[in-house]
Amino acid sequence: MKPVLSFCDMSFFWPGGTGLRNVALDIYAGDHVLVTGPSGAGKSTLLRLAARLEEPASGCIALDGQPLAQLDVHELRRRVGFIQQTPVVDEGTVRHNLLLAFGFRANAALRRPDDAALRHWLDRFLLSSVGLDDSASVLSVGQRQRLCIIRAMLAGPQMLLLDEPTSALDPESRGVVDSRLAALNAEGVTLLMVTHAEGACRGAGRRRVEVCGGRVREVPSAEVPRCTQASGAAGPDAGSRDRVAGKCTADSGEGVA
Amino acid sequence: MTSGYIAIEWWQLCFALGFVLLSGAVSVWYGLRLERDLAWGTVRTFVQLMAMGYILRLLFGLQNAVAVLCIYVVMTWFASRIVRDRVGETGVSYFGPTFLSASFSFMLVTMLVTAVIVQASPWWDPRYFIPIGGMVAGNSMNALAISLDRLFTELRLRRSEVEMRLCLGADYEEASRDIFRDALKSGMVPSINSMMGVGIVSLPGMMTGQILAGADPAEAVRYQIVVMLMIVAATALSSFLVLRLVRRRCFGTGHRLLVRYR
Repeated sequence: MKPVLSFCDMSFFWPGGTGLRNVALDIYAGDHVLVTGPSGAGKSTLLRLAARLEEPASGCIALDGQPLAQLDVHELRRRVGFIQQTPVVDEGTVRHNLLLAFGFRANAALRRPDDAALRHWLDRFLLSSVGLDDSASVLSVGQRQRLCIIRAMLAGPQMLLLDEPTSALDPESRGVVDSRLAALNAEGVTLLMVTHAEGACRGAGRRRVEVCGGRVREVPSAEVPRCTQASGAAGPDAGSRDRVAGKCTADSGEGVA
Repeated sequence: MTSGYIAIEWWQLCFALGFVLLSGAVSVWYGLRLERDLAWGTVRTFVQLMAMGYILRLLFGLQNAVAVLCIYVVMTWFASRIVRDRVGETGVSYFGPTFLSASFSFMLVTMLVTAVIVQASPWWDPRYFIPIGGMVAGNSMNALAISLDRLFTELRLRRSEVEMRLCLGADYEEASRDIFRDALKSGMVPSINSMMGVGIVSLPGMMTGQILAGADPAEAVRYQIVVMLMIVAATALSSFLVLRLVRRRCFGTGHRLLVRYR
């Protein structure tokens, strides 16, 4: 089976010299991959690279075998949605926000969903009480995050990149978002999700990838889930940290901001 | 109608240094540590204006279009350097676009004023072209600095918003449309505001200078109106051009935002 997204010996460095080194990672269709690691290890950077918000220094990232650098960036962003840690909504109504992508030139050929379709999506994400003409700026953070996920899904992506989508949410909203994401995954949407949430690591059929000290490694399912809460940027000594205590064991290296 | 004016002799000019000493005393008294800047600023004022006075005298004598335009390009180059130093952004290079935008817009507006409105003959007559061009450059320089500073600041502060749009399929223009508008507006507003207060709050330098030189105030006012309007046009045009060119440089291949957090 060919991977949907693959990092091939990819390295990336921030101006200060920190970064990710020789990342080799394959993500297959329908995967639900959780990216864990200490704060500042480079988890978000991994996602930003996949969304082409950053460019690798060496190696390559490919979508369905095609290097991202050779793929039209708008095509990439139609096929791979990106959900930021803090939900960003535009001024205006819920409808305006949901249809934001359809106003961009590159998406002119996409079929614009009607109100019934939008309502269907809102219902699926337990936002039945939210009106399409309501102002998006009055929604709670949890509601905004769900709005952002729907907004990304409306373009029909095959994959979602989620940067700690539930970290700013209360437990109830977190549960809703987690269950809806699991439902999307069950329908075939591939998920690559950065998380700190302990519960998220325990889901069945989920792969876990740990980012630590600039290295990325897959965590065998037999190992104890370690969605670390360690704070502070990973520095040269990060590799010596005790894994069982909720920290990483990857080789020493530089962390990233 | 013109009449003679009172010339300022060297000893009178030196007497004016007393104003600087007064400012220096305030700085010393309150420990502001501005004495050095004040002294350097005074020296530069003397040297730069004296040099310009001699250059203008030379140009008036030469009556050569190429020489006039060269001097104006040098003035624009210095204006662009001042803009670069004031904005101080290090992540994106913008001196080239600033110089290009300034050269084009300053030259165009100055030519329109001297050739079409004032109808100087020839249109590059240094007696008109250099002072009018200098006013265009001096005022637009501030607009350029304000616009660019706003562009970089907003891109940095609203990075999440810009990247949200990029990830939804926007190109760099669509992703930064609101920021571009805000930056353009911030560059244009000061010159529009100055039109509101002119004649009531302030008597602009050009008009005052003409009156001091003995010109009829009614004639000086007409010149000043032209100057005010040309400055509004020059600030709008130069801000628009520089923002168009520099915004493109803020995004890399694949419409990636290159302006980073500091």
